[in-house]
Amino acid sequence: MEDAQIIATLIRRCLAGEAAAWTEIVQQYNRRIYNICYRFAGTPDAAQDLTQEVFIKIYRTLGSYDEERGAFVTWVTTVTRNLLVDHFRKTRQDRMTASLDSAASEHEDALPLGEQIPDKAQPPDARVQSREAQEMVHAALQKLSPELREAVILRDLQDMDYREIAGLLRVPEGTVKSRINRGRAELARLLQRTYRQVV
Amino acid sequence: MGAETKNGMPCHEFEALLSEALDHKLSGAKLEEFQTHGAHCELCGPLLQEAAAGQHWLKSLAEVEPPADLVAGILAATTGVYSAQGVQAARAKGSLWERFSAEVLKPLMTPVLGLVRQPRFAMSFGMAFFSLSVTLNVAGVKLSSLRNIDLRPSSIRHTYYETSGKIAKYYDNMRFVYEIESRLREFKQVAEPEPSEQKKPVKAPEKNHSGQPDSNQHNYSRGGSETVLALSNQTQAVITGRQGRSL
Repeated sequence: MEDAQIIATLIRRCLAGEAAAWTEIVQQYNRRIYNICYRFAGTPDAAQDLTQEVFIKIYRTLGSYDEERGAFVTWVTTVTRNLLVDHFRKTRQDRMTASLDSAASEHEDALPLGEQIPDKAQPPDARVQSREAQEMVHAALQKLSPELREAVILRDLQDMDYREIAGLLRVPEGTVKSRINRGRAELARLLQRTYRQVV
Repeated sequence: MGAETKNGMPCHEFEALLSEALDHKLSGAKLEEFQTHGAHCELCGPLLQEAAAGQHWLKSLAEVEPPADLVAGILAATTGVYSAQGVQAARAKGSLWERFSAEVLKPLMTPVLGLVRQPRFAMSFGMAFFSLSVTLNVAGVKLSSLRNIDLRPSSIRHTYYETSGKIAKYYDNMRFVYEIESRLREFKQVAEPEPSEQKKPVKAPEKNHSGQPDSNQHNYSRGGSETVLALSNQTQAVITGRQGRSL
């Protein structure tokens, strides 16, 4: 049986009231959802609370999932992303990066990053081994604007393809690519600055 | 950059192909054009490098481990009951200490900590701790010198006898000292003559009606070799030196 069919059966069992099926869904997707929440929210506590909220929402709206409209994993990720956006709007804790790219993130057709600041410096040696380095990257990720952050999280951490991300974010594929490019470049700049400060 | 064309490829096309190039999805002539443009364009070159570095940093981020009690918490929040499987999975993930702290310590300590965290109680506990530490300091008790071995019953008994012996010895010594002191006082009283026999009659000082200070108080009027030791109650200086003692 294919994955899609297994999931469809699992959902049907779950909707029929089988508790074991719901437990299986939770066990299968909690890791993915927790990781998205952690990378977006920044702290383990917030990630845990948000993951729980996501599953509550999934539990309540599972009946609305239509397997013909897309994969279950995409639907779950969409629910997660929408909840994260709501959380961001409510709390306003997220600080918009004092990014040179911030204007462009508001207007998708603005000049690309490379044209705004021609920085000829070489990026730092991108060898991340230690935990400290991972924490630095995670901290830099929190400084990205939400639009760029979610795009790079979905692409580089969750390995979703551009079409899926475009469907999830409800923006054209070209916009997704542009956001991913800018997000990556912005992250490299932030890390370059941190690296200079540390050294 | 948008409309600029270098090496056969406009910059906007370079940017559109950037993500595909980083995903290694470009090939053939398109890839060559892309690489040539990136190598020669002073705006697109750095962008390519930064995007590649950023992608590398992001890919290097490891997946984080969810908390052990996450599944159990979700199941409790959704279905209202803890799933045996979920709890078992959570148990299997956590270490012995984690399980002990989650199942035993946390339920016990949470209400206590909640109480202690209130500002009024926190202040009281702080003061109590301060008082205790001051008392221990005054009593000469050092917590750093306390060892596990000191808490054995035999050690406690030994310490008790040792301390009580020291106290008894201290009071014995005190009694001996007081006894000696009282004996000495007795000897002194016996040896000293009566005060009336020892005292010489003191000549009453003449009254000074001039309003000027007494001439014998003018130390500076005396010779430099005379040393003034003190002033008596009768405002007479005790002087040693050539003139001897004058009262």
